[in-house]
Amino acid sequence: MDQSEKTLSEKESLDLIARMINKAKDACHDTGIAAIMWGAVIAVCSLVRLAELQFGFTMPFDIYWLTFVAVIPQIYFTIKEKKNRKVKAYGDEFYDYLWIGFGICIFLMIYTTSHMFNEWKPVAVEYKSLAGHSSSFRLYEYSSSLFLLLYGMPTFVTGVSMRFKPMLWGGLLCWVCCLVCLYTPVKTDLLLVALSSVSAWLIPGIIMEKDYRKAKRTLAEKHV
Amino acid sequence: MFKDLDPILHSQLRLAVMSLLISVKEAEFTFIREKTNSTAGNLSVQIQKLKDAGYIDVTKQFKDNYPQTICKITREGVAAFENYVISLQSYLKKD
Repeated sequence: MDQSEKTLSEKESLDLIARMINKAKDACHDTGIAAIMWGAVIAVCSLVRLAELQFGFTMPFDIYWLTFVAVIPQIYFTIKEKKNRKVKAYGDEFYDYLWIGFGICIFLMIYTTSHMFNEWKPVAVEYKSLAGHSSSFRLYEYSSSLFLLLYGMPTFVTGVSMRFKPMLWGGLLCWVCCLVCLYTPVKTDLLLVALSSVSAWLIPGIIMEKDYRKAKRTLAEKHV
Repeated sequence: MFKDLDPILHSQLRLAVMSLLISVKEAEFTFIREKTNSTAGNLSVQIQKLKDAGYIDVTKQFKDNYPQTICKITREGVAAFENYVISLQSYLKKD
């Protein structure tokens, strides 16, 4: 049958348009691997640090180095996904730059907060020598809030623009936890960071991955 | 009955191609072939017709030493597609 010249009725034409648009939409599913990985990594880092504080042991290395190590599989997954992708959606570039910008912000935040700690250290020492006791102000107690503030931004924007509610709520939870962390001790802060990363990335990532597999399976069944 | 409909778009395969391309920024030839269940030869001919009408841009390049054809809808293509859908809807309303 000459598919190209087949005459279509009005309804057939509209059905064909709707079917093709759905097929294109199904092909643009995110695999969710990156969200799963980052959600798990941040949760593990926070919980290990919490265990260190709670049980008084020290890991042979700073657990947060894991976040730098995780950049390697992230680059690998991104390159692999881009190579296999036969179609580019309108939002792809926007999301790429949004999350790259987020990565740069996190890197700068780590650098800035560690610089602030180093600047603050001699002040704290001097205070202790003059007052005879440590200052009740501990700069590091506020770092969780600053990071949660950043975590929420791209998560919320992605959730809203993709109309993906789990991420939208995850982003909002990051901001709620950001405020709560201001009034809670460090151990609770670490728990809230773990909770936020699980809610903002790990759970939405698992849902995305399930949807991706489902879409792939459906397409395979239809042989398209 | 269909005399006002764009003849370039009012064919099954070309309409399928345009419907796919309207939803994405760009797509590979192989992707379009898979989704439309068409043969490479037939699809090539129809893509050429859409290109000649100025409705799509076609870029040919190499990826990992293999030829790669990328199709992208143009502004004229978007306008033509929108007009086509509006015309279709008006016909349906008449019925």
